[in-house]
Amino acid sequence: MRRRLVVFAGAALLAAAPLAGQQESISRAFELERRGEYGAAADGYRAVLAAKPADAAALLGLERVLVPLNRPGELLPEVRAALAASPSSGVVYGVALRAWAAADEPDSMRAVAERWAVLAPTEETPYREWGTAALGRRDHAGAVEAYTMGRNRLKRPDALAAERAQLAVIDGDYAGGLREWLAAVRRLPGYRLSAVGAMSQAPAGARPELLRALSREEDLVARRMEAELRVRWGDPMGGLQALLQALPEDRGPALEALRGLVDQLRTQQTLEGKLALARGLEALADRSSDADRSRLRLESARIYTAAGDRDAARRMLAGLAEDRTTPGPVAAGASAALVQVLIAEGHLDEAGRRLDKAGLALSADEREDLRLRLVGGWLREGDLAKAEAALGADSTVEALALGGKIRLFRGDIAGALEHFRKAGPYAGDRQDATSRTALLALLQPLDVDSLPPLGHAMLLLEQGDTTHAIGALEDVSRGILAGSGGAGIAFLAGRLAAATGNGSDAERLFRAAAVKDAPGTAPAAELALGELYLAQDRPSDAIAQLEHLILTYPESALVPQARRRLDQARGAVPKT
Amino acid sequence: MRRRDFLVRGGAGLLVLSPAASLARLRFTAPWLLVPMDEAQSDHLKAYGLAYRLLDRGGRAEWLLNYRSGSFLIPADAATARDAALNGVTTEPLDDGQVVQLRGELQNGNMDAVPLEKAPKVAVYAPPNAAPWDDAVTMALNYAGVKFEKVWDAEVLGSKLKTYDWLHLHHEDFTGQYSKFFLNYSGSAWLLEMVERNRAMARQLGFPSVPVEKRAVASAIAQYVDRGGFLFAMCTATETLDLALAANGVDIAAAYADGTPMDPDASAKMHWDETFAFQHAELELSPTVPVYSDIDGHQVNSAERRQPLGSFTLFNFSAKIDPVATMLVQNHRQVIPDFYGLTTSFTRKTLKPSVTVLADEPGAPWVKYIHGEHGQGTWTFFGGHDPEDPQHQIGDLPTDLSLHPHSPGYRLILNNVLFPAAKKKELKT
Repeated sequence: MRRRLVVFAGAALLAAAPLAGQQESISRAFELERRGEYGAAADGYRAVLAAKPADAAALLGLERVLVPLNRPGELLPEVRAALAASPSSGVVYGVALRAWAAADEPDSMRAVAERWAVLAPTEETPYREWGTAALGRRDHAGAVEAYTMGRNRLKRPDALAAERAQLAVIDGDYAGGLREWLAAVRRLPGYRLSAVGAMSQAPAGARPELLRALSREEDLVARRMEAELRVRWGDPMGGLQALLQALPEDRGPALEALRGLVDQLRTQQTLEGKLALARGLEALADRSSDADRSRLRLESARIYTAAGDRDAARRMLAGLAEDRTTPGPVAAGASAALVQVLIAEGHLDEAGRRLDKAGLALSADEREDLRLRLVGGWLREGDLAKAEAALGADSTVEALALGGKIRLFRGDIAGALEHFRKAGPYAGDRQDATSRTALLALLQPLDVDSLPPLGHAMLLLEQGDTTHAIGALEDVSRGILAGSGGAGIAFLAGRLAAATGNGSDAERLFRAAAVKDAPGTAPAAELALGELYLAQDRPSDAIAQLEHLILTYPESALVPQARRRLDQARGAVPKT
Repeated sequence: MRRRDFLVRGGAGLLVLSPAASLARLRFTAPWLLVPMDEAQSDHLKAYGLAYRLLDRGGRAEWLLNYRSGSFLIPADAATARDAALNGVTTEPLDDGQVVQLRGELQNGNMDAVPLEKAPKVAVYAPPNAAPWDDAVTMALNYAGVKFEKVWDAEVLGSKLKTYDWLHLHHEDFTGQYSKFFLNYSGSAWLLEMVERNRAMARQLGFPSVPVEKRAVASAIAQYVDRGGFLFAMCTATETLDLALAANGVDIAAAYADGTPMDPDASAKMHWDETFAFQHAELELSPTVPVYSDIDGHQVNSAERRQPLGSFTLFNFSAKIDPVATMLVQNHRQVIPDFYGLTTSFTRKTLKPSVTVLADEPGAPWVKYIHGEHGQGTWTFFGGHDPEDPQHQIGDLPTDLSLHPHSPGYRLILNNVLFPAAKKKELKT
């Protein structure tokens, strides 16, 4: 028995040896191909095929490497051998079709396709591969013939619809393309994105007719295609409406259709696109389970806010905040967002009430942030008493900064200075800190403790009324000596005038600020004048002004910047 | 020294490094200003403009070769102090005693003082509509504030050239082949415009083709130098100027330029005795390769021959024996990063023996910066396009020199601009 076992094992090893050798050969060929040594790889694949003519991996490998060697026609001997060895292999037929296409032998292609079709009488693959191979050799008519023959023989009106659709679109027959794509998507929904992508290329003139053709179809496939095409063609709201009107009662298909459209709406950057996205998310939320619904409504509210539809945002948020099924964190987020929307809309009383109501549901940081935003809202409204009441006895640096503003707007210069100094550079973001420093620089030279007209002017500025703020600031500056703060106020007014495009006012105000009595302000005012002249294409005035600045205030930190502007005014460096 | 004098001098010392304080220095009424050109200088490039404008106002200056990297000694008049303050040029006030001490230092080392007497009249060879920011020399002159005028073929072939002391050529193709971009950039608006402009000029001047006309321009430039002019060329102007001069009666232009193909035996027929710097070069025969010959070591536009950029090193010369070469290499950096151009460098094997090498890449078969005499004049060739844009590509944003006020490469250009201002008797080497 032992001897028999040894003999058996030896026989098995002998039988396995060629297999292992082949495996090693094909691995080596793959490696050569990976390294880009295509000639050697071709030899390796051929060696495998010599032993096993129908080896699919070797045949496909040889086909691949002959392309970069620009010798695809050399595959024919191996193809013939493979067909003889394995006359029913679909892979071999596919390679054979491509090989004869590369050899420019359309009759052989047809013959192979016919043989393959006989072996697979219900399959589209032989005709699809035939058509693809024909297209590969730019034989458009050959591809049409393959697909048409396939449809006729298979006796299915949707057979090879996707392939025929692509040919129709290439031919510019968008109506025909649409018909075929609809058939293809109805049979295989995965084609939808390809269909929309192809049809979206239709020229603007053809689109109305295509939409009319789609409107004549009644199923959800047509509605989805219409909706997505409308989005791509710049009518996102129309697309959404088309889909919403056709959504089925069945939640699953409805959600799937809505999600598809929402994904596409997310790519829209226009205002209408954002509104359509928000509306789509709202519709999606209405059909979703509790947890998803809250999340989707919150997202919808945020997008409504970004798109400027605060009513809709408030509707979403109010629903979320009051919905007892909303998860706690989402409800808190909704409350916070709602308060922000209300503040932005100027509904400050309601914002205050909502904030009080949200209470402990919000984190301490969120509450603090919203309260300070509310104070800012009251300041912009000009209601300093309510701003102060909302601020309460808060002694954080942010509150001190806002308290300084309240005092400034009341004209209490000493109080404002004290609060701004206490707030220091820590309150708010970098822009807040910078603007507070600028305010300190503006107020410090003033030798009065109270100056209500300046408070009024600064309040106008806070409220966004720049035009009246400029006038009010100029009036204030006229009543104060330049060296006692008047120059700084005139300079601020000038910068506002320059920023609003009022060059002549800006020039007058900068000149009022650029006086030797105010050495802290004058260099900045002179530089601003020089830049204003440059912007007005008055290089010689700019040169004179900038030279004056450099020579008069040589120690000023603004001199390097003035020199660069001087170079630009002289044309010594490019304007870029 | 009385305490008050000591304080005044101490105060002056404190002001030394501050260009902003130039006007304040006037209070100390120091008779001289030293414009340091070592690391103490806040704007090396504008310092040349300061010296140039002083000469232009009729003033005089001295170039202190090898003293603090080539500083200038100028009189401390109000206009100069004002100029320095406006342009951010560092100056240091010196009294007569300090100047005497300085001169003693110059005597004892490899240093010398070269008087600068007259602002050279500068011409830049460029087409009338050339963009001001596409030429390193134009940019340097603009930034430093050195006056110049533009000349082109009509002026060169007319009689105007002799009115200038200094002529700069940038990336002109004197072989008349439009930088050999004709085929590769076919259809580009800028190329079409360049071709039409050149053809129109050749027609206007009565030449049968652009290559013939450009060769005539090259000859006129050679005559200008021969009669005592100063020539400075960069980039492809260096190589093509010599190729055009050597191609006397030889067709070195492709068919697209003159209607006939290049003579396949052109390299053997060239007249190298007519050139400034190069000899025995092998010409590139392909009209599609934007390379002219093996004069250029880097061959930037030939994918298979292109050489990587390294650094080039300035040579040291004896200031007292060889003041010309010394002037041309004054710099606060000895080793400078290289930069490409259509012609980036010059292969050693193609240099004439009479050429003075001012800078090379040690160990490489090419040099970067060369100089020589031609008749009564001198020429300087500097390879590459823009010292602060090493990989310069067509369409790149222009270089803003206010961001490179210490550029050692641009300093070399400005050394050349000021070099003709030196008193003639000092120029003998």
